[in-house]
Amino acid sequence: MDQSVAIQETLATEEDCITSDRGHFETLVKAAVRTWHHKVAAFCFICVIVCACSVRLFIYTHRRMAITADDVSLEDIFPVSRHFEVVEVSSPDELAILGADTRIRVSFQEEVLEVSLPFGSHSRFFLGELNKAWSDVCKSSSHVPKFEWLHKHSKTTGGQAVIKQSLTPLGAKMTKLSKQTGLSQRLHTPDAVAHSPAHQGTRAGPEIAARAVQNEWERYGTCLGEGGAGREDRNDMVRSSSHTPANKAQMLSIPQFGLRDNLIRCELLKNEDQYTHLQDFSFFLATYNVNGQAPKESLAPWLSCSSSPPDVYCVGFQELDLSKEAFFFNDTPREPEWMRAVSEALHPDAKYALVKLVRLVGIMLMFYVKREHAGFISEVEAETVGTGIMGRMGNKGAVAIRFRFHNTDVCVVSSHLAAHIEEFERRNQDYRDICSRLQFRLLDPGCPPLAIMKHNVVLWLGDLNYRISDLDVDHVKNLITKKDFETLHNYDQLKRQMDEEAVFEGFVEGDIQFQPTYKYDTGSDDWDTSEKCRAPAWCDRILWRGKNIKQSTYQSHMTLKTSDHKPVSSLLQIGIKVVNEEAYKKKFEEIVRCIDKMENECIPSVTLSRRELHFQDVKYMEHQTESLTLFNDGQVPCQFEFIQKLDEPTYSKPWLTANPPKGFLAQGAQVDIDLEVFVNRSTAPDLNIGLEHIEDILVLHLERGKDYFLSVSGNYLASCYGTPISTLCQLREPIRDMPLPAVRALTKGGESPEGGDKPLGIPKEIWMMVDHLFRNAIKQEDLFQQPGLRSEFQEIRDYLDTGVPDSLPGSNHSVAEALLLFLESLPEPVVPYSFYQQCLDCYASATQSKKVISMLPQCHKNVFDYLAAFLRELLKNSDHNNLDVNILATIFAALLLRSPTKQDLAEKRKTQEFFQHFLVQDLS
Amino acid sequence: MTAAPYNYSYIFKYIIIGDMGVGKSCLLHQFTEKKFMADCPHTIGVEFGTRIMEVNGQKVKLQIWDTAGQERFRAVTRSYYRGAAGALMVYDITRRSTYNHLSSWLTDARNLTNPNTVIILIGNKADLEAQRDVTYEEAKQFAEENGLLFLEASAKTGENVEEAFLEAAKRIYQNIQDGSLDLNAAESGVQHKPSVPQGGRLSSDTQPAKEGCSC
Repeated sequence: MDQSVAIQETLATEEDCITSDRGHFETLVKAAVRTWHHKVAAFCFICVIVCACSVRLFIYTHRRMAITADDVSLEDIFPVSRHFEVVEVSSPDELAILGADTRIRVSFQEEVLEVSLPFGSHSRFFLGELNKAWSDVCKSSSHVPKFEWLHKHSKTTGGQAVIKQSLTPLGAKMTKLSKQTGLSQRLHTPDAVAHSPAHQGTRAGPEIAARAVQNEWERYGTCLGEGGAGREDRNDMVRSSSHTPANKAQMLSIPQFGLRDNLIRCELLKNEDQYTHLQDFSFFLATYNVNGQAPKESLAPWLSCSSSPPDVYCVGFQELDLSKEAFFFNDTPREPEWMRAVSEALHPDAKYALVKLVRLVGIMLMFYVKREHAGFISEVEAETVGTGIMGRMGNKGAVAIRFRFHNTDVCVVSSHLAAHIEEFERRNQDYRDICSRLQFRLLDPGCPPLAIMKHNVVLWLGDLNYRISDLDVDHVKNLITKKDFETLHNYDQLKRQMDEEAVFEGFVEGDIQFQPTYKYDTGSDDWDTSEKCRAPAWCDRILWRGKNIKQSTYQSHMTLKTSDHKPVSSLLQIGIKVVNEEAYKKKFEEIVRCIDKMENECIPSVTLSRRELHFQDVKYMEHQTESLTLFNDGQVPCQFEFIQKLDEPTYSKPWLTANPPKGFLAQGAQVDIDLEVFVNRSTAPDLNIGLEHIEDILVLHLERGKDYFLSVSGNYLASCYGTPISTLCQLREPIRDMPLPAVRALTKGGESPEGGDKPLGIPKEIWMMVDHLFRNAIKQEDLFQQPGLRSEFQEIRDYLDTGVPDSLPGSNHSVAEALLLFLESLPEPVVPYSFYQQCLDCYASATQSKKVISMLPQCHKNVFDYLAAFLRELLKNSDHNNLDVNILATIFAALLLRSPTKQDLAEKRKTQEFFQHFLVQDLS
Repeated sequence: MTAAPYNYSYIFKYIIIGDMGVGKSCLLHQFTEKKFMADCPHTIGVEFGTRIMEVNGQKVKLQIWDTAGQERFRAVTRSYYRGAAGALMVYDITRRSTYNHLSSWLTDARNLTNPNTVIILIGNKADLEAQRDVTYEEAKQFAEENGLLFLEASAKTGENVEEAFLEAAKRIYQNIQDGSLDLNAAESGVQHKPSVPQGGRLSSDTQPAKEGCSC
């Protein structure tokens, strides 16, 4: 039932009911200040209410099913603050009801209230939320929640509620606060001693809780302000509820998140046989429609009929209470009465723990286990489904309890299906509704809700209400007298429906060797003598579904005369999967190891045909390629990529590229990767003087896998390309004939170190090319406009760098292009960067322009003048070579007047106009 | 609120460093496969292995990066130190030179990891007692002077291999427990939930999942 709607109605808009739970008060300790209008025991709702940042615990009582705000009345409010405590308390008879309801003690200063919450995930959730709220409050130690918003509740509830508001009224003073702290500590201390496992050390449950608290403290301990109670004082507080009775069984369950854990879970399940063995346990199943009566006689003849005490009791009742109160308010005195009667009638030779009781109006189910088995019961959940009036109400329907016993999941259902002889279809429908609507919500939020049929063992008992049809009453009674139950059974609707597979598919029922259990005159063994004179019927049945189940007895109990039904019982021997812990541990570890192995094997992996790549004699503007093959020898497809090393902007040096630099490789597939070296004008200068080498390490990374290092090595042949004019002017020999350190010294020092030879006026390489063109290509058609050949460029470059062969090779066009490339490769342009801006400033004036050029460093000025003179010569032959001022200015201005930054179009035009002054001078 | 402690899982990132040929990859292989790799090729790159261990009752996934020991790769392998929760610094007890280089490895480890990174010194090839070139005592002293954990181990016999990884894990776990290792720090090397090893740029490291734990 969802009471939250009713409760939310009582609240102001800014207040929010996070969670609530149904509980009941058992005792009120030290609550003398207040008068409760309910006495010792009262059903209540306990709710966590949030308003702004502060949290309260509201206690409501209710008169009937909580549907509207009128049905609930606010009894008490506990501010969730530092002085608030929730403690799980153990009752003296704890062992006898292991796994039963959770009793908590809520206290705030001197106010103490004990509330029982029903056992199950909902209560755990509730306590969890409460814990969270409490933790939040403690975390924000500086933030003292204000509780003034609570005042309105004292009015709305007619003065019933007592608001504990003394902690921080508006403008609370610190002195007052600390005084109260002292008070609350004093008051709590005796309690703490009495209930603290740290002092007694006997109760396993609270001890675990205390450990959990310790953990919690480690996390939040520092957050608690100075005003808070000390660490030791609070060890007994339940910050985490430890209801689950079977810690042992829980130990065997596995971490519940992640794919990996699901894998382990699956594997464990698959191999269950290897670490479990079947062991028979006796389950005593009993069902009794009590026709609204209170217990009047001992139930021992029914429940203690077996010679030895059964291991498990599942006792179901129907029509526990036929009153309107029970129907509308789900409130009945019959529950404790029958519970007591059952508890007293269990087999006297063993002690039993009531693990769970669940009731829906008059349908109830109790689940007991022998004390020594309690530790092996876990994951207990209970659910109810109403199929009565409007298909929803609880006058008909089912209650069910599921639990795990050792390693077997068991579900027990107690149901009361639709009545009347002709309504068998309706009964079938009720069965189907129960199966589809009854879903257990499990602790693990990741798990889907669990349906009845998902259990290894399903035990179904109750007043299923199937009748004997197609036989008149006398005939039926006659067969009963003759004890011909076999013939009679053929007229049983349940048997017929089951034979037709219309209901209880997969269920088994034992042979019926007892007379129908309905309908008798109450207090007798006489068949119904009322007006309706109903035909006898086997209404009360016990069925099962699952493997390894044998029935020992299936009987009715005629001696019980309280009701118009007779109770039925069945003793089943059920093979339960019992875990051999050693084998389990072994299997578990084996699986983990296996998955580790799988995981390691699934790490992507490739083989590389080579790890070392050498580039011999790398030359300026000449591609060199080395290839390697990547073969995916792993068990999974992989994604590879060359990745950057720490603090480097790219995955390789600028003169190196990988093609492709990344890609996808299917399992067993291979790919060739080309590593290509190409030295251009930006990388050549440092390589020329040995500041930089053909050396690199590439990191080939596999997504989620290994990294491979590729070593790249090689040597670069120095070239005049990329060497400064000033250096070249110092070199009388081809650059390759010069020792590298000398070239480096020249480049760095600028002028000739030992004042030996006078530097050349212009680099001999320029002279060679220009002189060659002057002599051979002055009339060459489309000179500087037609491209040369790459191979010839390489020969020309080698000639310039080595002096071999004797004369400059290549066509005129190739030489022309080599000259342009040379100018382009100069690290410092012919018009040095530092003069660039001046040139732009005076481009309009020929005089100014010439003045700028006259200020260039000597060798640069020489080169400029030399080239300009040469170009003017070319222009004299423009009839042949088709050149004009515009063309030459466009080509050469871009090479001689390079911008240190990016050049825009306007700048470009200025540089061309600047350069034109030097081309037209003789013609003007 | 309901998760029991065994539900928690951590991932610790480890690196293995040390000179070439001291047996780094063999230690990893022995640890993950429980086998000795007789002729293990030189690692040219970074290998990778993982195993789940139980540390103080907690399931912990160790994610181990085994680096190339060759000097020429030193600059590159330095990229892998970041975000390591533990470092296994290995030398060969039969080759003093590998021991002499420890201070340089230690400098790298200290400079490139966070102050909480647990460093364990491992004298490998402990099975080759006859060829011993570095005494247990001097290495022990070196470890103590530098605040390192220390074990002699043998990747061949498996002796102390498990222990080496475990000892470091215990210390890391202890650092988490006493709060000295901040799980939310970017380079703690510890993650709170299982996830696949992070790929991508070497420099961008695994961010620990910011999972609040509830209990």
